[in-house]
Amino acid sequence: MPQCSTWVTILAALSLSGCAAEDEASGRARETGYRGVLADEQGPLPSFVLDNVRGGRFDFQAEAEGHAVLLFFGYTHCPDICPVHMAGLAEILGDFPWGLRERVKVVFVTVDPERDTPERMDEWLSNFDPGFVGLRGTKEETDRIQIELGLPPSVRMPAPVDTIIAHASSVLGIAMDGTRLLYPFGTRQVDWRHDIPKLANWDPEGS
Amino acid sequence: MQWWCSAQATAWAWTWRPYPGVWLVVLAGLLSYAWLLRLGRGPTAKPRATRTWLGWVGIVCLWAALDWPIGALGAGYLASVHMLQYLLIALLAPALILLGIPARVWEQQRGGALHGRLARLLFHPLVTLGVFNLVLFYTHLPSVVDGLMPTQIGSFAIDMMWFAAGILFWWPVLVPVPNRPGFSFPMKMGYLFLNTVLGTAPYAFLTFGELPFYGIYELSPRVGGFSARQDQQAAGLLMKVGGGVISWTAITILFFRWHSVETAAEPTAA
Repeated sequence: MPQCSTWVTILAALSLSGCAAEDEASGRARETGYRGVLADEQGPLPSFVLDNVRGGRFDFQAEAEGHAVLLFFGYTHCPDICPVHMAGLAEILGDFPWGLRERVKVVFVTVDPERDTPERMDEWLSNFDPGFVGLRGTKEETDRIQIELGLPPSVRMPAPVDTIIAHASSVLGIAMDGTRLLYPFGTRQVDWRHDIPKLANWDPEGS
Repeated sequence: MQWWCSAQATAWAWTWRPYPGVWLVVLAGLLSYAWLLRLGRGPTAKPRATRTWLGWVGIVCLWAALDWPIGALGAGYLASVHMLQYLLIALLAPALILLGIPARVWEQQRGGALHGRLARLLFHPLVTLGVFNLVLFYTHLPSVVDGLMPTQIGSFAIDMMWFAAGILFWWPVLVPVPNRPGFSFPMKMGYLFLNTVLGTAPYAFLTFGELPFYGIYELSPRVGGFSARQDQQAAGLLMKVGGGVISWTAITILFFRWHSVETAAEPTAA
């Protein structure tokens, strides 16, 4: 059993680590103007085509042109990270004026195409926001796309927890000027409210 | 195994979990209360059964608020359940436990430490009201909740601060020592009313806040289909409505007791 002094040390360390994290975040914000982290992989809009769960094919490069994109790789049976990210984005986008919302595309690519049928994905995404785009491809296709974007490919956990899929927990934000940023799990609505207008190059006066 | 409920990164599951620290605290409460009941037993008369039961119910409230599922849900999943915990631990349980302590226990204290200068200062209504609201304010600050709730010791500290502040808050209203004749029934009613007014600020922040205040509840896996904002609004409303029900019930009881005391004191018409 840790002694009282140990607990005090732990609490102090936790407080300091919290401060350090905040300092790091505010430092980042000062450097780039964003609260997200600049992605290592920068470049032109990614080029891939996957099935849209609401029908047809989705050419990412063509569809994303002229939009800020929030791209996330997850799965609908995810017990924690995916629904929390999607719920947070849906709530914050609901606060924005229509003009800004039109400039933002939230794209969810499943890493579990076996269980994520188009119907299931459509229903799941519509629970958050009917405007969210759901894409489906083979495991090989999504792995390749993730690697190209600098994200780790997903891995199904071994039995008996093989219903769980380990996957990248960051949302990839692509600004209208092409800047790529990562928003790890833990990004809060206050951070999205700060960054999304900037990603979409939104000027409330003139846009 | 965890000894106290704290925020977890895993999805919520309706699977029972043991929290031995909670059991120890509740057991200590039960033993202390039983000891007080024994102390309050006179040579001839026994404590009133109704009052005794209030104390037992208070301890059950405390147990329910600290243990699974309310304790676990409130520690890391739902701000609204965290608020329910606050109501039970800081407002309801302390009042019931103090009500359940036999009057003879307090009578035995006459001339004791509870009548000393320190006790008079500690249990002065302005001090108790101030301390209670400071604890309410401090323990609902986002930095405090997000900093303490993920650790068992931090979560334990918040729960104990609530309970101690609750005992302190109800003391001048329910406990006859230290004797404070000036703190009459109308003053007690005013004290409780003032507390409902002071509690309005945190309620307003929670209910009308644009964004979720607490990271642990915003980023926890959702339970019951509530969004983080709906959960926060429910927490604010629960604080206002639940706290109001408890306070106004107490005010009403005090009013009728005041009325009956005044009626009994009036000279009967011939």
